[in-house]
Formats: sequence, C-alpha cells, structure tokens
Amino acid sequence: MSRFLILALACFSAQAFAAGDADSGKLKSMACAACHGPDGNSPTSPDFPRLAGQHYDYLLKSLRDYKSGARKNAIMGGQVGGLNSQDMADLAAYYSSRKGSLGVIR
Amino acid sequence: MVRLFRKERVMRISLAVPLLSILTGLPAHAQGNAEAAKGKNSTCIGCHGIPMYKTAFPEVYSVPMIAGQAPDYIVKALQAYRAGDRSHPSMQGVAKSLSDQDMADLAAYYGGAGKAVK
Repeated sequence: MSRFLILALACFSAQAFAAGDADSGKLKSMACAACHGPDGNSPTSPDFPRLAGQHYDYLLKSLRDYKSGARKNAIMGGQVGGLNSQDMADLAAYYSSRKGSLGVIR
Repeated sequence: MVRLFRKERVMRISLAVPLLSILTGLPAHAQGNAEAAKGKNSTCIGCHGIPMYKTAFPEVYSVPMIAGQAPDYIVKALQAYRAGDRSHPSMQGVAKSLSDQDMADLAAYYGGAGKAVK
C-alpha cells in the first residue's frame, strides 16, 4: 500500500513539475528574443526585464501567471497564449541556465 | 482681460513642461536616487536580500533576483503590484506603501547594482 502511495506521489510530482529542457527552450525562444534580447540579458527596452540567470521557478511562475491572468501585461498576455506547460518549463529552463548580471544585494 | 491672461499663462506652462522634458531628454517620471533608497529598502531586504530565498505564500517559489535588473522595469513591476495587475499579496502591500519617488529610488539602487547595467 505504502509503495503504491509513493509511486502515485512520484507520478503526481513529475506531472506537476514537468522538468524544463534548456535546449528545447532555446529553440522556442525566438519570439522572446525580440524584446528580452537573444540571451535574455540585453532587453531591447529598459521597460523589459532581464531573464538570464533568473530563478527557474520564478520564471515559470511568471509565465503561468501571464497565462492565468494573475499577472496582467498586454504584450506577455498575448505571447503566452500559444505556450503549453512544457513550452513554459523549457523556456524557464533555458533562461535560468544563461549567465546573467542579476544578483542579490542587501 | 486678467482672466484671459491667466488662462494663457497656465496653457503656456502646461505646454512648456513636456516640451522641456523632450528638449532635455529627461523622462517625465521621477528621477531615482540610489543613495536615498538605502533608508527605504528594509522591507525589500527581508526577501530579496537573501540568496535563494523562497516565498511560502501563496505558493512556494524562489523570490526573483532584482539587483542588476533594468531600473525602468523595476518601477513598472512596482506600479503593476500597486495597481493590482500583479498578484502577490505581500508585494501589493509593499507597493501601495511606496510613493513614486520611493519606487524610482529603489529602482536606481537595485538597478544600478548589477555587473552589466546599461
């Protein structure tokens, strides 16, 4: 019984947190590059955030929030329309794996 | 006649302000002062000042790194929280407590902190 529970939990976790693939994310990042820069580190306008090196789970949550409407933005709301869960995980994996200038200060 | 004169003057000033902004290349929004932010960022430090810190409410995820982010974007993010366009309860509360000048100062502080800030 407990084995079954562990297996069920493992399956559920895998489903809920579909691991992103950075290489696939790179292939899907053409539209993103138009504003965030080719590597996510050189936005074309200071209004747009740097993505390179940002935390994976924060990037994924941002994309999910744009999709659900919890985060409202005219540009991003349109961009996420065509993305599924795997696409979002892949893009988050790609940008979080880039080297960037983001950091933590007090 | 006096009334007319006044109206004209108001119109002239209202035209002059954006014109001045265009001519001097200065943005119309508040100019940030990174030094002034040091007395205003005690709330920020509690989450954004701790490497790999995760927020636990309303869901668990890593708090974004904001040092080195574009200052204009930081202001936009704070404005979006204040307006309710972004949904994090703590950040909405924080943003509502900030003036436009506070936001500009904090953006200058965190935005100026990266290795390759434009």
